[in-house]
Amino acid sequence: MLRASVAAERAGVPSVSLVSPGFERQALATGRGLGFDGMRLAVLAAHPDGQSTDDMLTSFRSSTLGEVVAGLTTETRVEGATTSEPTALEVVASGTIDELHDLFCARGWTDGSPFVPPTRERVEAFIAATGHDPWRSLGVARPSGREITVWSVAVNAVMAGCLPQHLPVLLAVAEILAGPHYGVEHSGNTTGADALMVLSGPVVGELGFSHGPGAHREGERANTSVGRWLRLFLRNVCGFTADEHDKATFGNPAKPLLAEDMEVLAEIGWPSFAGEFGFGLDESAVSIGRINSTVMIGSVFGDTPERILPYLADGVVRATGWDLTHVFGLGRGHYLPLLLISPMIARVFGRAGWSKRQVQEALFEQARVPAWKFEALIGEWTNLTAGRRTLADLVAAGELPSAFAESADPDRLVPIVTESSKFLIAVAGDRNRANALAMANDGPHGWWTSRFVDTSPSLDLACRIGDDECGA
Amino acid sequence: MQYDVVWPKSPLATARRPLAPRLTDGLAGKRVGFLWDYMFRGEELFPVLARELEARGAEVVGYDVFGNTHGPEEAQVVGDIPSVIAARGIDAVVSGVGA
Repeated sequence: MLRASVAAERAGVPSVSLVSPGFERQALATGRGLGFDGMRLAVLAAHPDGQSTDDMLTSFRSSTLGEVVAGLTTETRVEGATTSEPTALEVVASGTIDELHDLFCARGWTDGSPFVPPTRERVEAFIAATGHDPWRSLGVARPSGREITVWSVAVNAVMAGCLPQHLPVLLAVAEILAGPHYGVEHSGNTTGADALMVLSGPVVGELGFSHGPGAHREGERANTSVGRWLRLFLRNVCGFTADEHDKATFGNPAKPLLAEDMEVLAEIGWPSFAGEFGFGLDESAVSIGRINSTVMIGSVFGDTPERILPYLADGVVRATGWDLTHVFGLGRGHYLPLLLISPMIARVFGRAGWSKRQVQEALFEQARVPAWKFEALIGEWTNLTAGRRTLADLVAAGELPSAFAESADPDRLVPIVTESSKFLIAVAGDRNRANALAMANDGPHGWWTSRFVDTSPSLDLACRIGDDECGA
Repeated sequence: MQYDVVWPKSPLATARRPLAPRLTDGLAGKRVGFLWDYMFRGEELFPVLARELEARGAEVVGYDVFGNTHGPEEAQVVGDIPSVIAARGIDAVVSGVGA
């Protein structure tokens, strides 16, 4: 909404943005990140989802309308335009651990947990071990408009307790955040999806990431510190703090990095999670997507694929509700739920000679919901899909495949994704447990994106910290 | 023990720009475009806004001319806004709904 307004302002045309209460600061911050201070807003009396039509339109005429007209026709002096900020090497604070913790919390520079003080010496040592140019720019962070540099990645990595050898993973993720595909600018949206990084390939073992018991929670340094780095980086560089861009209603706990069990994948002949995005088992890659609901599928009992698939399919369905607006509405075929299965379950498929593709196809057939419920979830139960169109309408218009309208029976079962390959599968966790997790992704707003992790020494060394010509 | 620490943020990389000039001579005779993210009851709000702006002498260009500014084609739709503005001779826009 605000990005559209900025496009008009850039074209020399005045804009006013309609926002509901509580979104003013986010809107102004988004404008600031795109180069415009003081974007003009017209504020609704209340969030439109909770108002009667009469109340909404009456207050719109009596209050918001005047702000629209004023915003388009009157010039105002922009107050509080961006002031000077510290340079990268500038000391911004001095103190004890406790004093720095208090100060960083007060300024919104940390998540509330203790952190390693990012002294210049620590950050320099962190980078020096890798050979990277600290001032190399990876792009511009959205929505903050701040530059992503190796230095900014490293400062937050030091705070999070990462080790220098983790830097290739962090840089790959930072490059994903800098690019347009993932859509990091949506990271503060209403449902509070949180980013999940999935690490695949030889880098899992080479850098000491844990993929065993408790793989999806904090507890191991590499997984935990890299997961925390991402939250700090989203806060400090991308701008997701509660006073600006983070508008999550509840939010999710920060997720540690999830590393795959590469040995078991090789044993059963399956591609890695990153294989879905073109990477081979012998290639190191990190993938990232944003996750909303997560459903535990406990005690998956059975020694054949046929016996365990119904339970897995049911779990994926139970993780899926409003998320169907990513099939049609907020997205167009952008729902790609992730099924995380334990190695023991993966081995059941492997012993039966099932490929990952066969599992995906079976899930496509079995993970289904009644058509009436699908239509309610993208229609009368949400305000995120305009038009209230039926599945038959959407199939007829070529918006969905025919599987969604094989009959007119409202109780017919329809898929929850548009094609079988959109069920993503990863393998990790305790090798001696038969459990799974179903995770609903946030569609195009944190769109699954993978990137190669390059652990070879960098040849960037042309620039040294402190050299004037390096922009310090 | 004392620690001297550096800033965990990063410099702004975007150049500051002034907002476009407002229509200080009023809305009469001006063309106002609507931009909608297809959420949060814009289909009820924008028709009311259209009637009010038309009562002030403005001409309205509907949101369907631009497309969904928040959907899967967001990048394309937002990228096309300047050319649609130019092609339609639009003088101002109202964009919504942020909620």
